[in-house]
Amino acid sequence: MNVSTPMPMRRRHVRVAALIPLGAILAMSLTLITPARSDTAGGPTIRLFPTSVLEDIKETGYVAEEMETGLQDVIARMDQQSQLYQDSKCDGAEGDPGCGRIAKQLGATYLEMLNVMNERLPDMERAVNATRNSLEKRLRGELGQKMTSWTLQENLLGNTPAGNASPAPRMRGRSGMRLSQRFQQYYQLVASSGAGASNQSMAVVASDIYLDMNEASELIARTQEEIGRATLMEQLNQSFGTITPEMQQVVDGVKSILFGDSEAPYQVAGPPPGSEEKPYKSPLEM
Amino acid sequence: MKYKLMKKNYLYVLSLLGISMLAGCATTPGACELAAERNLDSAFINAKAKLADGCEAHFDSYFDQLLGVAAGDPQPANKQKFSDFLGWSADEGILSRRQAQKLYNRYFNVKFMALAGDYNNCAQTCPRKTRVLTAMEAELTDKERGLVKVSQDPASYYRADRLFQETELVLEATCTACANR
Repeated sequence: MNVSTPMPMRRRHVRVAALIPLGAILAMSLTLITPARSDTAGGPTIRLFPTSVLEDIKETGYVAEEMETGLQDVIARMDQQSQLYQDSKCDGAEGDPGCGRIAKQLGATYLEMLNVMNERLPDMERAVNATRNSLEKRLRGELGQKMTSWTLQENLLGNTPAGNASPAPRMRGRSGMRLSQRFQQYYQLVASSGAGASNQSMAVVASDIYLDMNEASELIARTQEEIGRATLMEQLNQSFGTITPEMQQVVDGVKSILFGDSEAPYQVAGPPPGSEEKPYKSPLEM
Repeated sequence: MKYKLMKKNYLYVLSLLGISMLAGCATTPGACELAAERNLDSAFINAKAKLADGCEAHFDSYFDQLLGVAAGDPQPANKQKFSDFLGWSADEGILSRRQAQKLYNRYFNVKFMALAGDYNNCAQTCPRKTRVLTAMEAELTDKERGLVKVSQDPASYYRADRLFQETELVLEATCTACANR
């Protein structure tokens, strides 16, 4: 596998629903990842994405895609109901029978969303854990045990001389970028890597996916615990027909992940164009 | 008994005097001071003369001053001037070849000397990951000085900065994987 240059940096916080669109993009990128590419930079050849890892990622992609599809429909309905609730000026008019009906419908759709998540999450958990475990094994073996810190940095530097550096990656935690957009970047990276034109590092991609899977795995477990409680709360709310702030918050969170926000992506300044002249190379340079 | 003690003290004072005389002019206050200079080439000549004249202990201070002079006239050619100076210092035995390499790479190369290690990452880097990253951060400040302020090579500096971020990410993942064995 070609290990050479940069990629997006790590996001520090992932919301519960962040795992949803991950699989769809992963599945797309997988079609272009070829197993065990050799390192064009001349460094040691590392195998971070053998067939077994690719199969695990592929499976995770399918499962996540199914979950995303199921939720998109429910969320679209919730959006319409919520809009109707607002247009009908139901805020503060809880006693109105019409508003009560809309609130109950909204609550029922919310319960449906929780059910979809509850049904899909065990499959998702299994797939994510399998991918995480296989990537973990590769990272430990290829980067942890076969490399020193020096060879690791040589691999990361790979074939990007300073003057030809591609635009700097964004720190994921600071960019506010959706996960799906991030995986679109993976897609572009892998696509150009397949054509032999990439100077991006597979070590960075593998690390990023692995850490995401790690977080996703923890979040799935926590979400599963929460679903039971949230379902009970909403069933109780159904009796009174109210829209709770918690409910609105969960829906907003899921929506922002699925449909994204309109915020323009944050751009980190890229390096200036390199000098035309061949850079000086000192005999002391290592 | 008293006479013996006086004699001993006298000899002690004499030997101290002898040592200070042997040290010669190089340790006279101000003798090793590098004259204020704005021209980098002249500053290198002065520094070499002082170093050859017994002021080797002031090497770090000279190097720092030379960087300051170079920052007054930043240009890509400065990289080579510092390389030559460090090479000369190694040839003269003021620095070891290894020290010269470390210093040059710390300031003028994209690669991090903080990542020099002979053993695998699980065994050597991960247990001291925080220290390694702190050392890289400090080195990045020196690279900013050497690459941007002295050599006018911001592209290399940005690459080093990115390498630092990538290393942080990859080490986080790799060390988590190593720990979950």
